[in-house]
Amino acid sequence: MALQNYCLNLYPFSFRVNTDLKLIEQNLLKMYPGLIDSEPTPVTDYTLSLNNGSGLRRYFKPQARFFCDQKEPFKPLRQEQGYALLEWGMNWTIASNEMQYVIAHSAVLAKDDKAILFPAPPGSGKSTLTAYLAFKGWRLLSDEMALINPNSNVVTPFVRPICLKNHSIDLAKSWFSQGRFSTVAHNTHKGNVVHLSPPEASWQQKEVDARIVAIVFPSYRAGRELEIYQLNKTQGFMQFAENAFNFGVNGVSGFNTLTKVIESAESFEIFYSNLEEVMEFLEQDIIDNA
Amino acid sequence: MPDISARDVIQLFLHPESAASIDAERWQQIILVLRYQQLLARYAKRIRKAGVFEQVHKYAQHHLINAEIIADKQYQQVHYEASLLQQQIGGIGSHLIFLKGAGYSLSGLSVGVGRTYSDIDILVDKTAISDIEKTMSLNGWLPEEMDEYDQKYYRQWAHEIPPMKHATRGTLIDIHHNIIPVVSTRAPDINLLFEHTVITKDGYQILDKPAMTLHSLIHLFYNEEFKYGYRDLLDLHLLMSDNTEEYWQQLLDLAESTGFERELFYACRYTNRLTSTAIPEHVVNLLNQKNSGPILPIVDFIFTQLLIPSHPTVRSPSYSLAAFMGFLRGHHLKMPLPVLIYHSVNKAWRLIIEYFLGNTFFDKEKTH
Repeated sequence: MALQNYCLNLYPFSFRVNTDLKLIEQNLLKMYPGLIDSEPTPVTDYTLSLNNGSGLRRYFKPQARFFCDQKEPFKPLRQEQGYALLEWGMNWTIASNEMQYVIAHSAVLAKDDKAILFPAPPGSGKSTLTAYLAFKGWRLLSDEMALINPNSNVVTPFVRPICLKNHSIDLAKSWFSQGRFSTVAHNTHKGNVVHLSPPEASWQQKEVDARIVAIVFPSYRAGRELEIYQLNKTQGFMQFAENAFNFGVNGVSGFNTLTKVIESAESFEIFYSNLEEVMEFLEQDIIDNA
Repeated sequence: MPDISARDVIQLFLHPESAASIDAERWQQIILVLRYQQLLARYAKRIRKAGVFEQVHKYAQHHLINAEIIADKQYQQVHYEASLLQQQIGGIGSHLIFLKGAGYSLSGLSVGVGRTYSDIDILVDKTAISDIEKTMSLNGWLPEEMDEYDQKYYRQWAHEIPPMKHATRGTLIDIHHNIIPVVSTRAPDINLLFEHTVITKDGYQILDKPAMTLHSLIHLFYNEEFKYGYRDLLDLHLLMSDNTEEYWQQLLDLAESTGFERELFYACRYTNRLTSTAIPEHVVNLLNQKNSGPILPIVDFIFTQLLIPSHPTVRSPSYSLAAFMGFLRGHHLKMPLPVLIYHSVNKAWRLIIEYFLGNTFFDKEKTH
């Protein structure tokens, strides 16, 4: 495929993506419906490319290489994993350049303007929970990063596809057969990976801020009944700070922001296997009281 | 995309008040160049100082502020790292001098404002190196992994030991015992630089301004790689602007005693030509007498291309040729011919392998 140029008019950041891979083009169009502009060049924040490797390599073990302008932060992957590489590259680009929000590694979902943050390490079931809530009437603000406005408890959406791994791929496909799923990237460092475009309602409100009413640290445990532990402010702060990745760079303003968030929100740690129970807890005990 | 030239990017630095009249499309292009050259923060601070930051297009303000935040954090971090190093190894050997970027930050001079860098460089007494290495590893600094060939290169020929990285903070540190490779035979008597140090108001040892300038210009003109040539030229522009007569005399003397007059000549020539740096007439005359020669047009060709803002979108068609010539020149300066051939054959072999088998072939952790 000849080199193509796409503008992704996301909010609050925009990207230009150059690619010569059909796989990337197909997935982009499917994941970001109505947000892709192939007209010549409005101004975008970041220039990315996702292309074939060079040299003879492209003929016998085709690779996909990600660049943010001239910079290649990751090693090349197999071409089949190219779309996942692009999504991760977009995350990297934002995390390493954007300092005007305090960014936490966290999913963000909301009912109207009441947002709950779900900060969690990989393997905690965060993305499965995110997908479930997003398709059960919640609004997705982000699956990966919470953009918290400095010195406030306001979170700005950064609506992007949800990154599903391994078993959760089949689960999500069985629950939401109408969902828009990307092609599979097999055997990445996170296992098999598929991206799932959020429902239309989330896209429609992609520029609507929300205020953080709770922070929930989720841990999936197969077969376990729902257990809920309320955290005190200190516990909440410490756990949350571990997930805030530009907290250090933002210094005083980062610290004040996290303090503000923790002071105005309840923090919980939950262990669960049944998502319906979790949703019930979130809606009845948190949202209705907030 | 609009047509931005390297010259436009230079003019913006020299006339920061013009930032207010640049539209978003031109900014998009300028920001690509500046980010690639690691100069976004330096420009941001410059524009702020000119008092026009609020009038700059919102698109550009957004990216400039991001860069400023990162640079401010680094400025704070380098003070912290310097105080730890001072405690841990300050008592070993005769000197602990902060060089280059870290030295600029600690100096409080304009050259340190918005300047970013990827590692901290220090200069120490050679006889203290092994004690310093041991003490640092006890304090959580680990040597970077490298293959045997590179290890040998460092230990046998270089002017520094393999870089060390802090296990938890990730800070990289380069420990030098001279300012250029010993194999070049041009490494100066380091005591000449040890005599040109000052203590900052926070208590850190750095080179004084003439010696700092000398090191900066040696680093630029006695080198083979020019990816950040423009940034380094701006360092020199800032260091060489607004100085006393005494500064110039000391700089001339130091260049003579260390044997780097030609490099000083180039520094004056190209800062003046490319960034209109004001060099005193008697300095220019003196250096001209000693240094003009038949190869000067070739050197001009190389440096007038490698020391201006560089990015694929603003490079001239002859850039690659200039870069290649600059590379050969730099290597030739640094190594006697037999060593150069040995080193080049080794590196060329790797490039060939990487061309055919992918550029991760030599990485220890391979991709699929």
